Amino acid sequence: MQRERIEALIDDLAAGFLMLDGDAIDIPAAGKLLNAMEELITEAEKRDMKPMAGAAGELKSLLEDIVLERIGPAEGTERFTRGVSDMQAMVRGDAVAEDVDEAANRDGVQMDVSEVSATSPTNEETVAEEDGTGIEDGEQDFEIQDESLMRDFITESLEYIGEIEINILNLEQNPDDKECINAVFRPFHSIKGVSSFLDLTEIRDIAHELETLLDRARNSEISVDSQIIDIVLEGADTLKVMIGSLNEVLEGERSRPLYPDLTELREKMAGVDSGEEDGYEKESVKKLGKILIDDGVISEDILEETLQKKSGEKRRIGETLIGEGKATPKHVLSALRKQSKQVMETSTVRVDVKKLDDFVDMIGELVITQTMIKQNLVRLDSADRKLMSDLAQLSSITSELQRTSTSLRMVPIRQTFQRMARLVRDLAKDAGKDVIVAMEGEETEIDRNMVEEIYNPLVHMVRNAVDHGLEKGEERTSKGKPERGTVKLSAYHKGGSIVIEISDDGRGLNVEGIFRKAVERGLVSETDDMGEQDIFKLIFMPGFSTAEKVTDVSGRGVGMDVVKQAVEKLRGKIEMRSAKGEGSTFAAFFPLTMAIIDGMMVRVGNEKYIIPATAIRRLIRPTREHYTNVAGKGEMLDVMGELLPLLRLYDIFSVEPLYRDPWDALVVVVDAGGRSKCILVDEVLEKGEVVIKSLGGNFGGLKGISGGAILGDGNVGLILDPEGLFELEETTAV
Amino acid sequence: MDKAGKVLVVDDFSTMRKVIRNLLKQLGYENIVEAEDGVAALEVLRSQKIDFVISDWNMPNMSGLELLKQVRADGSLSKTPFLMVTAETLKDNVVEAVKAGVDNYIVKPFTADVLSEKIGQIEKKRG
Repeated sequence: MQRERIEALIDDLAAGFLMLDGDAIDIPAAGKLLNAMEELITEAEKRDMKPMAGAAGELKSLLEDIVLERIGPAEGTERFTRGVSDMQAMVRGDAVAEDVDEAANRDGVQMDVSEVSATSPTNEETVAEEDGTGIEDGEQDFEIQDESLMRDFITESLEYIGEIEINILNLEQNPDDKECINAVFRPFHSIKGVSSFLDLTEIRDIAHELETLLDRARNSEISVDSQIIDIVLEGADTLKVMIGSLNEVLEGERSRPLYPDLTELREKMAGVDSGEEDGYEKESVKKLGKILIDDGVISEDILEETLQKKSGEKRRIGETLIGEGKATPKHVLSALRKQSKQVMETSTVRVDVKKLDDFVDMIGELVITQTMIKQNLVRLDSADRKLMSDLAQLSSITSELQRTSTSLRMVPIRQTFQRMARLVRDLAKDAGKDVIVAMEGEETEIDRNMVEEIYNPLVHMVRNAVDHGLEKGEERTSKGKPERGTVKLSAYHKGGSIVIEISDDGRGLNVEGIFRKAVERGLVSETDDMGEQDIFKLIFMPGFSTAEKVTDVSGRGVGMDVVKQAVEKLRGKIEMRSAKGEGSTFAAFFPLTMAIIDGMMVRVGNEKYIIPATAIRRLIRPTREHYTNVAGKGEMLDVMGELLPLLRLYDIFSVEPLYRDPWDALVVVVDAGGRSKCILVDEVLEKGEVVIKSLGGNFGGLKGISGGAILGDGNVGLILDPEGLFELEETTAV
Repeated sequence: MDKAGKVLVVDDFSTMRKVIRNLLKQLGYENIVEAEDGVAALEVLRSQKIDFVISDWNMPNMSGLELLKQVRADGSLSKTPFLMVTAETLKDNVVEAVKAGVDNYIVKPFTADVLSEKIGQIEKKRG
């Protein structure tokens, strides 16, 4: 591009601007001008025409100010025209480079623009004015202008706030992800928008303030840390309360909404403003003066007096008090220590999950090493009582350490539940059902590594509850049930497991229907005499439900076998109860953590294996009579009247066993993947918890083995994966 | 714009769509369709004749700005009048929309009068 091109661009600008008429700005024309201006700036920069680029830049921001109505059209037009003719002069060489700045100054382009930003009201000021009127509005009589709109607003806002709670989990994990921030920002923004139309000034203001906070995060002015997350959550709660109160007005329960005190929340938001890390802590940390009063070092009067004297000085309160002889350095120091202790108590630290995992892992090692030492001492037959009691002490410390380290990774299950609640709402909407979600025990904690793992099985169960468990409204009312169905999510600890229950108050399982279907599928025979519980268990069998849409006859059953497998994969188990017409409850038991497994150690020859306790049904010592070798089906054992295949571990892992005949050995009956098999072992050693170690890259994908564990004697035991083992056996047997 | 013209209101917040719908009704517009984000809006625009678009800026899936760009880039839709709704705090972003060829913008909250004025301005410029 030649000089003429720039010249032409500027001439276009001049001509284009004439199209902007006096009273209202022609937005599309201004848009074209802005684009032209940008092109001009790029060209000028390319040709190293700095003064030209600078002048064009100034002109561009002037035009932006006109578009944004920061400058009146008349004033704007005048200044713009001057700016353009300056540039025309510049490009025609009438002004040399050195004169340009001078020319710009003379004509006031640069000056004026900076003045504009200084004098025109900024956004914050505008809002501050609105705040003023907002308070006045609040004191006036409360009046609902459009009831139906208000109802929509309440419902939709509460839904959106629920979304904030869900999205904040993502944000916490990806604090720098703009889309995550935006997902949390948007609901506040929308609520603010509508509340401004509905004259709900308090709600608008608080939504606006939260939005502003998040906007600053979006623009990377502040970073999203636990402080911001806490404020946003508190803000969401506050809005929920405010909107809830609005609902009470609509329902005629009160004449005007009762809003909570917003001072504290506002102070916290203002605390972020200071940009100092400790801005937040100040809220919860006692002031030094207060501590000194509590300690009886100074009186309130003295503090008041000193604070007044101090105002204007830069010295800290402690220094002033010492300087005035009102307190000794020792007292102040002790108060400072107390204060910093408080800070420690109230602050949180973000830690890389990888570091945390390593830490937990190392503590696992520590526990194992300690066990090894203990066993060695026992073997040495040490009679040193002192040593033994020291070791007992060490062992209680390490187990406490292990408990604490595991708890570091624990997070409340609330977020998962909220995701489920959202899912229930969506599914209910699709199915045309009205569903209430109830939650219980959301504060129950779970290993954060498990959160993602349990998600899919839970989704399956929730889907079943809504799609198949709950009846439609009319059907419910005809049965005398409340029209709205309830899906309840609860979580609690039981033994070493976290139990997650999903229950519905729907139609319950159809016992006859399930039995009939199982017969059709060839899973059971017509003549089988089965109890209700046994029939319920059929829905977990592979092959019970097929890809075709499940009918109302089965009531439930969309891939419950898949759910069961997924739960078992996490070393969990699933239980259920159901009453016809009253509903069903599915309870999934998950281990508290993935890092430790409760297992039974068995020996085959010189090798030791660990079988997950959740998979073990029973231990038997078979007799000769129990053993049969069925043609075409292989070796079977009769376990309480049920013929189960026999699996010889030593064949699979090629080790030399002590016993080959089942009647000499022990048999562990193991359930996995919907089938049961008898595993032949030489000896059962002990039952207990072991820390799972990954086998590492080369052995990680081995079928039949899920990991390794360092045993008390220092040797390595392999943890068996029963399902993989079954598959391995089935493929090699052929 | 002819009062019989079809207006498309785009906002992810349904209450907001209702607010705008009510204001449009006050102004005598009866023929109003809604979409909940840019993606849905494009579908509407491509399946029926729309005379005027009023769109929010910040929406999931496809923002108002992206919608505007798509509309302007689409030969058969490019001339559709487009009014962008924005909030005071995000007004600075408007420059982006202006550059992308928006016809005008309006700051929340607004009254029926202001809306009417903006629609009038757009019509005037378009002749």
